[in-house]
Amino acid sequence: MFFRSTFFLGLLLLFTSFHEANAQQKISGTVVDEAGMSVPGANVIVQGTTTGTVTDFDGNFSLNASSGDVLVVSYVGYLNQSVTVGNATSITITLKEDAAQLDEVVVIGYGTAKKSDLTGAVAQVTAKSFEDQPLVRVESALQGRASGVTVAGSGAPGKGIKIRVRGVNSMTGNNDPLVVVDGVFGGDLRTINPNNIASMEVLKDASALAIYGSRGSNGVILITTKKGSGKAKVSIDQFLTISNVNRRISSLSSSQFARQENAEFIANPVNDPADAPYSDARIAELEANPLKYQDLMFQTGYTNNTQISVSGSSDDKLRYFLSGNYMDQKGTQITSNYKRYSFRSNLSKEFNDKFSVAANVTASREITKNDQDAFGTADGSSILRAITWDPTAPVRDENGEYILRSPREVANNNYNPIRRLELSDHQVTSDRLNITLNGKYNITKNFSYTLIGSVSTINGITESMRVEGDYDLIGFNNINFRNFRSTSHQVSNILNWNKAFDKHNIDITGVYEFQGNRTINNNYNTTDQNVYGFYHTDNGTTENFDNNGSQTAIESFLARAQYNYNGIYYLTASIRQDESSRFPEDNRTGYFPSGAIAVNLAKFEFIENSPLSILKFRAGYGEVGNQSINALAAFSLNNQGGFWSPNGGGTILSGEEQTTRGNSNLTWETTKQTNIGLDFGFLNGRISGSIDFFNKDTENLLIQRLVPGSTSITEFVNAGEVNNKGVDFSLSADIIQKSDFNWNANFNLSTLKNEVTSLYEGLDFITGNVNSIGGQGIKLDVLKVGEPIGTFWGYKALGTWKSTDDIPVDSDGAPVAQPGDERFDLDPDNNNERKLQTIGSGLPTLTWGFNNTFTYKNWDLNIFLNGAHGFDVYNLVRGTLRTNGGNRSYLATDANSRWTPENETDIPKAGSANLLNTSRWVEKGDFIRLSNLKVGYTFSEDAIKGIQNLQLYASGQNVFLITDYSGYDPEVSSQVRTNNGAASNADSGAGIDIGAYPNPVSFTLGLKVTF
Amino acid sequence: MKTNFYKNPSKGAVVLGLFFLMTIIATSFQSCADLDPDPLEFNLPPESFGSLEEMDKGIIGVYRRVTQSARMTTFYAPAWGGDDMTTHRALNKADFREFDQRAVLSSNSRLLTNWNAIYSSLSTINGVLERSEGLIDNPAVDQTLLLQYRGEAYFLRGILFYQLARVHGRIPLTLTQFPPPDISRGTLEEVYSQIEADLLEAEATLPDIYPNVEAGAPRPNSGSARALLARLYMDWGGYPIKDASKYTLAASSAKTVMENASSHGFGLMDDVGDLWKVENRFNQESLFTLVYCTTAEGCPNNSIANRKFARLGLPADLGGWNETFAEIKFFQDFPEGHRKDVTYRTDLDWEGFNAQKSPVFAKVTGPIGDLNAGSFETPRNDFFMRYASILLIYAEASGLSGNVTDESWEALNKIRRRAAGLPYGTPDPSVDVTSGVIEDLAFEERKWEFAGEYIRWFDLVRREKVKEALSVRDIPDAPIPEHNPIIGSLETTNYLAPIPADAVAKNPNLAN
Repeated sequence: MFFRSTFFLGLLLLFTSFHEANAQQKISGTVVDEAGMSVPGANVIVQGTTTGTVTDFDGNFSLNASSGDVLVVSYVGYLNQSVTVGNATSITITLKEDAAQLDEVVVIGYGTAKKSDLTGAVAQVTAKSFEDQPLVRVESALQGRASGVTVAGSGAPGKGIKIRVRGVNSMTGNNDPLVVVDGVFGGDLRTINPNNIASMEVLKDASALAIYGSRGSNGVILITTKKGSGKAKVSIDQFLTISNVNRRISSLSSSQFARQENAEFIANPVNDPADAPYSDARIAELEANPLKYQDLMFQTGYTNNTQISVSGSSDDKLRYFLSGNYMDQKGTQITSNYKRYSFRSNLSKEFNDKFSVAANVTASREITKNDQDAFGTADGSSILRAITWDPTAPVRDENGEYILRSPREVANNNYNPIRRLELSDHQVTSDRLNITLNGKYNITKNFSYTLIGSVSTINGITESMRVEGDYDLIGFNNINFRNFRSTSHQVSNILNWNKAFDKHNIDITGVYEFQGNRTINNNYNTTDQNVYGFYHTDNGTTENFDNNGSQTAIESFLARAQYNYNGIYYLTASIRQDESSRFPEDNRTGYFPSGAIAVNLAKFEFIENSPLSILKFRAGYGEVGNQSINALAAFSLNNQGGFWSPNGGGTILSGEEQTTRGNSNLTWETTKQTNIGLDFGFLNGRISGSIDFFNKDTENLLIQRLVPGSTSITEFVNAGEVNNKGVDFSLSADIIQKSDFNWNANFNLSTLKNEVTSLYEGLDFITGNVNSIGGQGIKLDVLKVGEPIGTFWGYKALGTWKSTDDIPVDSDGAPVAQPGDERFDLDPDNNNERKLQTIGSGLPTLTWGFNNTFTYKNWDLNIFLNGAHGFDVYNLVRGTLRTNGGNRSYLATDANSRWTPENETDIPKAGSANLLNTSRWVEKGDFIRLSNLKVGYTFSEDAIKGIQNLQLYASGQNVFLITDYSGYDPEVSSQVRTNNGAASNADSGAGIDIGAYPNPVSFTLGLKVTF
Repeated sequence: MKTNFYKNPSKGAVVLGLFFLMTIIATSFQSCADLDPDPLEFNLPPESFGSLEEMDKGIIGVYRRVTQSARMTTFYAPAWGGDDMTTHRALNKADFREFDQRAVLSSNSRLLTNWNAIYSSLSTINGVLERSEGLIDNPAVDQTLLLQYRGEAYFLRGILFYQLARVHGRIPLTLTQFPPPDISRGTLEEVYSQIEADLLEAEATLPDIYPNVEAGAPRPNSGSARALLARLYMDWGGYPIKDASKYTLAASSAKTVMENASSHGFGLMDDVGDLWKVENRFNQESLFTLVYCTTAEGCPNNSIANRKFARLGLPADLGGWNETFAEIKFFQDFPEGHRKDVTYRTDLDWEGFNAQKSPVFAKVTGPIGDLNAGSFETPRNDFFMRYASILLIYAEASGLSGNVTDESWEALNKIRRRAAGLPYGTPDPSVDVTSGVIEDLAFEERKWEFAGEYIRWFDLVRREKVKEALSVRDIPDAPIPEHNPIIGSLETTNYLAPIPADAVAKNPNLAN
């Protein structure tokens, strides 16, 4: 085969030299784009010579060439077009826009590679695959479209969405992947307008990630934003979405509850039935006009998204892409709202073939109002409160005043959940500015220097007045002002040298980079200001303020070498050295090596003659790090601001107390990952796909724990190990390719097995830190050797104790339960107490997405399904409906099926204690969702004069959800908290539902116009 | 491709300018990765104290920690086992109900929270003791003041061990800031001896009266330590060790406190009802006071406000949190008179409550109009031990050690007189007793005197009277039965609470 290719090459050279000998003649022509418009300023060159010219204002050119010559026409943003001169003297050359430019090139960090040259596991999501779905969030574009990437959404507007790449590593730290936007670290996906994105690459395996060294362990999402090209064009993208939460959790209706209350009252012989709490008239009234608190908690949400962009390129190679976006999202929970304004300007200029400069400037403002989690959730979210609120108490009394509490002190013990939201105004405004300069200088044809310099700043303020209770009581409202500032800088110097020697292709990259960040918080709060709004709150009686700042820096060297032999054998090796300010001097330097090989089997003869058009084997190994600890984690610290007053207020003495213990041995958390993959394609790439097997071992985990033996002093240590292994599979096919009918389908699937393989101090398990609701210190999660992170902890429910059961006794001979009480798995080694054990896991083991695009003439149809399987949801909402967690009354509809001596069911008897931390509330979370169903019509190019492109579409999101889960939505998890009120690790608390904000069902009408 | 580079001069200038800028960035900003944190931005604890000023901050840190550990009802949750108090029948009070119903599980989260809070305080105390060792015999340091500070630390360590020993019996005795992770529980003798040693050390080093503090020993004095010793010996004589010889020590210790009361600033309040008024939160009757304050008193925030009172004792009907209710039979048995009127909120129609028909403790809600009923953060102080207790310990211990004198009867009668609203120092035959079994009369007097003060349960334990009291907790055929019926054993084997399961999981040695 090698002989053959050499032979062809020789033959080609022979032909070219023959052509040189032909006689020259004057050739003239016109260069036009696909719309037939002339392209001025295009380069026209006779291939293999220095002869060339540039088209004039009308796109015309003329030059001398022989009939055998090949003219190569190039213009920024268009594919190079080659035309053999032949006998014609006048030629029209049509340039095609280079839409595929990014499809072929994959961004790999500090450079790009051809997709076919990849040695690592990289999932690419291009704009093409998500432009059919009306999106307000970038995260949604990744969901189900990149194998190995799991995205767990939230229905709350402006809320953080959890993205995980190949599982979770860290038990107490952060598992969010690193986001790199146009080469700059630390982007926030939420603030990015999806319309500005040209492509996203998710680096998954260590051989691809190692170049990100200490920040690569959670995966890296590389985002490349759009650049302008071609003629100036103005695009307007406008859509309007209407959203609703349609599901309702079944509970007793107003009249059913009133009857139940009456029945309970009458059942007590000391009560006079005439005194029953609800009269027949009242029950009739409730029957006719039931109070539906779930209906009152939810509203129809709408999203208005407007985006305008202007893009193009000028003759002198100035490319511009300017875009503005306004998004206003009214949430489906009353009073919640999110607004985002964003602006992006991407300018780039190629001054000559040596020097080019690009400047990207982005600015955004986000305003989030009444975020669900800004309110106290100790008794569950506002949604849970609404579900368990007294269904016989209206929101307002006959005078129009809010009813604060259940008048009869039944059902939920908290204040009116509707009033809470209607009177509160919690607003977070966050402004971001990022400026990135990118200069590239080609020192020689093969040697280039790139400098990326970036500064960004975030200014956030929280203006909050949360109203909770009775104005006559203490703690009825809480006023908070917080100012948050963060400034970061990054400078990356990238040297690249690449050269092809015969069949040897070498590409070497060297990087020196440093980054720094400073954050400052100023916080002020006061309580119990009886005023109308935040701005009226001056001089509170209680005034607390605190300030804190922290600073981190990291300095890095990186080298990467890529080699391939004739496009057959590939070898990549890289090493990164990071020095981080977070670690003590002796341990702050980390080295992160990787290596990968690939063999392009398609180039072998036995494949060449088969239907296989792509067959590539890849294998790689690498080590990446994690430094996700706070800036001062290595130090012993005293608390600050602690005071004591020996005379009860007159004298304030400040005290100190050690809160953390330093660790001078603290160092990097390391993830070692092996990846083996196969890329394949049939029928000239009409069907293509890849499969990757991975095994990740994360060692020396950075864990924040209590110092062993201590109950209050914490320390960071490197301890414990977690393993993630799984398979990522993706398949893409152009199933039907007809002139007027096309069907393209993409399917991807990922499996994951996550396991804690060791803890510290020989411990087999550590109780987690996720608090249950209802003021109980019970923890809902556990870290246990052999089980995944996010494992639920609780009692195993076994129905009820029957009257015929031999109920075990405690050491004093007292039976541990009575017939009709809930039966649990008991621990005979611990006095027959209920046995705490693992009762489920919130981490999906299988996720998939299936995206289909059909085009028929001017019509297009997109169907996008995704699903997650093999996980559980800890449904505390269902538990709370049956009392506990702040609810005093049995509100579930199975009230009449409860255990009685005559009918010994598995539902505990009336009055029996109901626990929330039991397997009774753990449900399968498996679901399949029709995430997007879109029908669009694109008008023919010439249908309307002056309009290049016009598309109208209608789309439904979350059209259906197939699940056995009894709550609103198995995909969303509540933000859960630890003892001190901080949000817990999102993975330890995965799958816990304390009234999570569900994904709504949405309907969108949209319009895209390009002029 | 062929292009003319510098066709346009201005363009060339721009290129040159940009290239120059790039070069500047590339060369001059290349070393600003500052990898060493600025130590002035955070607060490093010293390895050892360099001066008494540093130690003072450490001691204040200890007081803050202890105050915070004790500011919620969690600190006293085991006391719900007594026949004086109960809680809401449902809601989030399951942990309290376990004590109330005598079915305490090792998973009880109040038990765990309290365990952790007390060991955290002990760690802080031990840290101060360790760090101040270097100051001992340092001629530049005022040794009297140093010993006084260390005496406070020993005192606090002693009472915290005591607080936990009453609940669990055998506990691990942590004597260092970072105790061994595999520490074992001490024997009962070791535990009580350690408490005794700490209190004796405190007594030896603390002054008769702490200078410049309010009444009620908000910083303990030597009399506070002796008073706590009296209480310790009382417990030592009863369950679980039952070393009857300690009753003699209890009596003599109580006597010592009584004899030196004026030099310590101790004595009875004239009116028992005045004790529960905020204005009297510093009073001579308190032998050691845990001090709380809110912003209203001038504290910067409410982080050391007392969260055990006001709203916690009221039903939801009155905006309360339904946590600390009085038991019905105890309420009805309570001798009528002045003391009952100040112990309970007799103005409230508790039988008409919707939330739960339980009587309400005035000691918890505060006298009418005294505390903001809607507040859960109050400036009320905790009287860790009252002078009334010293008198009743003296009376009871005299009887138990077989050395009853006129002074023993007088001690008991002072409390009886005051309870009736009479001057406690003036003998009054209408209430005085001078015959009978004094240890039982004193024990009975404690029942009423300390109702709702988280003491009754521990009295029942040490005198092994749990079954006697709790088996008659309900009035037969009452229109309103007690809300949380007893479901566990009332035998001595069920007196002590299990070690929290979570602590055992971390250190399996605690299982033994």
